[in-house]
Amino acid sequence: MEESNVLVIGAGLSGMKASLMLAEAGVHVDLIEKDSLIGGQTIKFEEVYPNMECATCMVSPIQQDVLQNGNIDVHLLSEIEHVEGKAGQFKIKIHKKARYVSLVNCIGCGACYEPCPVSVDNTFEEGLCQQKAIAVACAGALPNVPVIDAEQCLRLNGKDKTCKACQEACMFDAIDYTEKDETLDIEAGSILVATGFDLFDINKLPQYGYGKFPNVYSAMEFERLYAQNGPTQGELILRKEKDLKSIGIIHCVGRKEMGYCSAVCCMYSAKFAHFLKHKVPEAKIYEFYTDLCIPGKSHQKFYEATREKGVDFIACEDVHVDSQKDNLQILYTDGKGKESTVDADMVILSPAMIPGKDTEQLSKILGIDCDQRGFFNSQNEQLAPVATKKEGIFVIGCAEGPKDIPDSIAQAEASVGITLSQSR
Amino acid sequence: MNGQIGVYVCECGPNIKDRIDIDKVLEDISSLENVKVAKRFPLLCSNDGKKFLEEEIVKEELTHLVVAACSPREHEQTFMTVCKQAGLNPYLFQLINIREQCAWMIPDKEQATAKAIQYIRAGIQRVAFHRPLEPKEIDSIPDVCVIGGGISGLETSLSLAGKDRRVYLVEKTDSLGGMAGKLSKLLPYQGSELSSVEAKIKQAQDNANIEIFTSSEVSDVRGFLGNFDITISSHGESSEARKIQAGAVVVATGFGLYDPGNDSQYGLGQIDNVITALEFEEMLGKDKLLLKSGKPPKSVALIHCIGRKELGYCSKVCCLYSIKFAHRLKDMSSDMDVTELYMDLCLPHKSDQAYFDEAKEKGIRFIRSGEDVFVKNKGTQIEVEYDRDGQKDSITVDMVVLAPAMVPSEGTTSLAEMLNIPLDKTGFFKEIHEILDPISTPIEGVYIAGCAVGPRNIPESIVQSQAASGKILSSLIPGKKIKPEVKVSEIREDFCTGCQTCLSICFYGAISYDPIKDVSVVNEVICRGCGSCVGSCPSGAIRSKHFTYPQLYREVLEALR
Repeated sequence: MEESNVLVIGAGLSGMKASLMLAEAGVHVDLIEKDSLIGGQTIKFEEVYPNMECATCMVSPIQQDVLQNGNIDVHLLSEIEHVEGKAGQFKIKIHKKARYVSLVNCIGCGACYEPCPVSVDNTFEEGLCQQKAIAVACAGALPNVPVIDAEQCLRLNGKDKTCKACQEACMFDAIDYTEKDETLDIEAGSILVATGFDLFDINKLPQYGYGKFPNVYSAMEFERLYAQNGPTQGELILRKEKDLKSIGIIHCVGRKEMGYCSAVCCMYSAKFAHFLKHKVPEAKIYEFYTDLCIPGKSHQKFYEATREKGVDFIACEDVHVDSQKDNLQILYTDGKGKESTVDADMVILSPAMIPGKDTEQLSKILGIDCDQRGFFNSQNEQLAPVATKKEGIFVIGCAEGPKDIPDSIAQAEASVGITLSQSR
Repeated sequence: MNGQIGVYVCECGPNIKDRIDIDKVLEDISSLENVKVAKRFPLLCSNDGKKFLEEEIVKEELTHLVVAACSPREHEQTFMTVCKQAGLNPYLFQLINIREQCAWMIPDKEQATAKAIQYIRAGIQRVAFHRPLEPKEIDSIPDVCVIGGGISGLETSLSLAGKDRRVYLVEKTDSLGGMAGKLSKLLPYQGSELSSVEAKIKQAQDNANIEIFTSSEVSDVRGFLGNFDITISSHGESSEARKIQAGAVVVATGFGLYDPGNDSQYGLGQIDNVITALEFEEMLGKDKLLLKSGKPPKSVALIHCIGRKELGYCSKVCCLYSIKFAHRLKDMSSDMDVTELYMDLCLPHKSDQAYFDEAKEKGIRFIRSGEDVFVKNKGTQIEVEYDRDGQKDSITVDMVVLAPAMVPSEGTTSLAEMLNIPLDKTGFFKEIHEILDPISTPIEGVYIAGCAVGPRNIPESIVQSQAASGKILSSLIPGKKIKPEVKVSEIREDFCTGCQTCLSICFYGAISYDPIKDVSVVNEVICRGCGSCVGSCPSGAIRSKHFTYPQLYREVLEALR
């Protein structure tokens, strides 16, 4: 059986890496992404631990390679509708939503945004800023081609059928309001599931004061707040203006509820402290953790370097956030059972990684299992970690469970190894 | 020179047209020496634009091409392809970025135009010194040499070996299976059993495409991706060294264990019934978990993180296997008193915490003891003292099991030297990029997998092994030639003094020394064209083929004029 075509679901780092390797081997890849851009969660990060490298600089060459590779067909705004058949001959139906902007004609000049009369919350930016109904998610998004939000666009949602502000602004004839959703039929020998993760909904845990106190932020909001290409160009402009003298970072938000450790939060929380010490050197920074999970050969050094910068790591339990007058207060019980309080101007919550919201539905379509936590189940967690119970279907990266970037990439490469190995 | 250079400015819709006075640009450059033609076009990257360029190259009989448009990241490949199709060597082309670097940066049209002119002039000067470069192709051998016969090496071998690919599996000891083979039981979830390791050994032994060398070591490696010459020496007295050829090497040499004997605070070797985790595994395997007195223990303390402080890293697996031990002890006798003394619990995989919660439900005691744990004799028993937040406390037990840190395996340093691959500060093999490329090394065709790279558990080691296979299966395809980098460095022998500075600079091991001619030699198959050697050469003997001194000098001179 010669492997001629592989379907990869999800164009995050795992999906992109696997696609590029398969393409190098001469295999044709159909890469499905439900979003309008590729890159996944990693492109939201300004820097990645432990070497504090710029994440977009690391990922954008990979994105370019994927978009320019002749063996990879990228299908954006697309989701799997139906799968039948078996290893070697899967038949897949894909629903592809209309973009209304031509990927061929558009050169990404951005002239169409300004005249658009509709402003909406930018979800890529965690709602920290607004964008127009025709827009790209952020500066540097790839492909650098906007998408029209059909629910918000006045013309497409029927509120003003005469509006053609963006079309008039476009000099490349790239906007087509008549574009329709399509159904694509694809055949593939193997399927790689790389649908990534979501984050625990911290609104469910009122003890942390998220939503109640404006300066309590989620980790992803903070990532965007400190990103150079984010809504504030990397400036720490808080929802409620405040001099930053004291900042608390709370680990393990949702761990108890989910019943597992998410493996990366301790390290990225330490990364936040690194960044904050650089940005506001005089501020006190506290990390509230239950158990430090910093496995691997270089991570402890990073943690030690963070501590040496004067960051206070507090092992504790029962953390909650309150407010007194103008200040936030973090209340906790320390290792000896003593209750204590720390004042803070800003609180950052590090939530658990949870299965992507479409995981269960996709598992049914593909005919593979989910574990009791809702992540995709591998065939054998110990000995066959990327295979699934269904031959020809593999699960890689955080779709299988929380893990860091190198472990996700290793899984992507492993799935390619097995796919190519079995197809000889 | 008598070049015929064509210069084409892209309007890029309004992006360049509205912000740069293109007519002024064309007027300025068309009179320059060697410029045969200078024109504008609405969108050069469009199909019409590419067709236009291709026709121009032929019609105007151009010898060199300059395009002033966007970033090379965006369209360098596009225009190089156009050159190829028009019969012009694609390296006789230069892309000037007047969009990101001029039009989009400078609000004042006059200034933007002036800068664009400067950049294009520099590009014209540079391109005149470009030389045609030709891509090479070399044959490759698909076979692979795997060093280390533990679970990683076995997994790699099994997924690589096939009808058109042989695997040479080299194991230092006299048997396959490595550390995993010494465990009495794997972690219990999902029914994985030790027999699965034995099954892998059997599969490898039965596979006609895997040649196994036990009690053997790789004693010499020369060559490069696709073409390594490898010598395998047997430990036996009579046997001769065997020479093989392979296209790639996978290093799966596993790990060693920190020796707590160095540290008298744990009493290993001094106090009876203080044992290491591996000794505990052996006892479990023989079903003979007994004290020196011959009686079974009634109470056991498991101490985590031995050597962590000294080595400066967490070994990732000790918490979980210590919990596995506790489970086993409780399963042996539900009255068994089991205590775990830990610093921080590291349970990073999705099923780990449930396994820990189960242990707690079984009545296993977990004490966060901090770093200062002391093991002392107390009659026939053992006292374990610890210090938590300044509070001293102790427990008395029959047996103490120490969980030592994972360390690089013996021989790691010499193997790294032989393969010319780096180690990191912890002494494990170093990835070429810790985040993006965790299996690769700076030497193309040499991959690292499993605990040779750093502490990890069995599933992660298996994943890395399969990943190494993925790397090899996607790049070293039987019958397919390898295409090395074109823009490599070259050394002019008459200038080279043989000082060998460049040898120490080259990150990829592409330069060697020829003692007969007393010069350094670049292996163009290994060189990736980074240019480090060019800067390092004290006699200016090295040049990068597409970044020669005349090219750079002319370009910079014009840009600064």
